[in-house]
Amino acid sequence: MADDYVNRPAFYPEYLFEVIVVALLTLELVLVTALLLPPSPGRPIDLVGQYQPRPEWYFLWLYELIRYFPGKTIAVGAVLVPVGLMLLLGGIPFIDRYGKPVRRRYVLWIMLLMAALFLSTTLVGWFR
Amino acid sequence: MIGRLIKSVDRLFGFTRPHKGFLSRRLPAGVGYWHCFGGITFTLFLILMVSGLFLTVHYVPSEHEAYASVRFINERVWGGRVLRSLHKWSASLIVVTLLIHMTRVFVMKAYRHPRELNWVAGTALFVNVLTFGFTGYLLPWNQKAYWATVVGTAMPGTVPVVGEAFVRLFRGSEDVTGITLLRFYSLHTHWLPMVSLVLLWVHFHMVKRRGIAGRL
Repeated sequence: MADDYVNRPAFYPEYLFEVIVVALLTLELVLVTALLLPPSPGRPIDLVGQYQPRPEWYFLWLYELIRYFPGKTIAVGAVLVPVGLMLLLGGIPFIDRYGKPVRRRYVLWIMLLMAALFLSTTLVGWFR
Repeated sequence: MIGRLIKSVDRLFGFTRPHKGFLSRRLPAGVGYWHCFGGITFTLFLILMVSGLFLTVHYVPSEHEAYASVRFINERVWGGRVLRSLHKWSASLIVVTLLIHMTRVFVMKAYRHPRELNWVAGTALFVNVLTFGFTGYLLPWNQKAYWATVVGTAMPGTVPVVGEAFVRLFRGSEDVTGITLLRFYSLHTHWLPMVSLVLLWVHFHMVKRRGIAGRL
C-alpha cells in the first residue's frame, strides 16, 4: 500500500500540467461563448410602466417559491426557507458523522429533496 | 488559557505548520476528472476578478451615468463588449460549476470529518457567489436590473417587525435609488471580493492540510 502511494502521480509536474490545461480550456470555452453571445445593455429604466421582472436563472427557484406562500405567509418562502436551506446545507458534515451509516441516509435524502426543489422550481419558473 | 485555546484551534486546523512539500505531494487513488470542477470554478473566479477590474475602469456607479457608462463600454471601449460578455458568462457558468463541484464532493463523501471546515467554507462561498450575482445584476441600471432588484430587496420586508429595517438597510432609502446602486456597487466590488478571498484562503488551506479525499 505504501509503495503504491509513492508510485502515484505527484502534484508537480503531472497534476499541475493537467490543471493548467483544464484552466486554459475553461478560459477558451468562456471566451468563445462571450464572443458569440454578447449581452445587450438593455432598455433604460421605465419607472411608470408595469413590468414583470425576470431574475438570473439561479434565482428563478426563489421567485417561483414565493408564489406558493400567499398573503402573510410569504415571509416563509422569501426568507425562512432559503435561509434554512443554506444553514442545512452548511450543516451536512455535522449531521453525517463518520461511523454512523444511517446518518448518511439522512443527508442523502436532504440533498435529493433540495436538488428536486431547486430543479422543479427553476424549470417551472423558466417556462412561465 | 488563551494559549491553550489557540493550541486546540491549531490542532484542529493546523494553521501554524507550513505546507511542506506542497508541490511534491502525491495524489490519492480515485482522483479523476470530476475533481476538476473546483479548479474550474476557481479559474472562472479569476476570470471574473480580472474582467471585473477592467470594467471598473469605465463603469460609473451613479444614478444618472451608470446606464450610459455601460453603453459606452459596449459601444466605444476597445474590447469592451467582450469584456462585459466574459464577465456575464463566467458569472453564470460559475454557478453551474459550483453546483457540480458540490455534488461531486457530496457523492464522494468528501465533506465528512476531518473536512467539515472545507464544506462550511464552501457553502459560505456558494452564498457569496449568489450575493455577487444579486448585487451585480443591478449595476447595468437598466429596466430588467431595476425591477428585479425592487422585487429582490422587498423580500426581507415580508418578515414581521424587523423586515422593514432590513429593506431600508439594503436599499439605503425607501425605494431602489442611486443610493441602492452605490451600495450594491460597493458590496460587489469591495466587500464581497474581500470576503471571498478570505473564504478561498480557508478553503484551499484546508484542502492542502487535509489532503484530497481519495476513493470512496
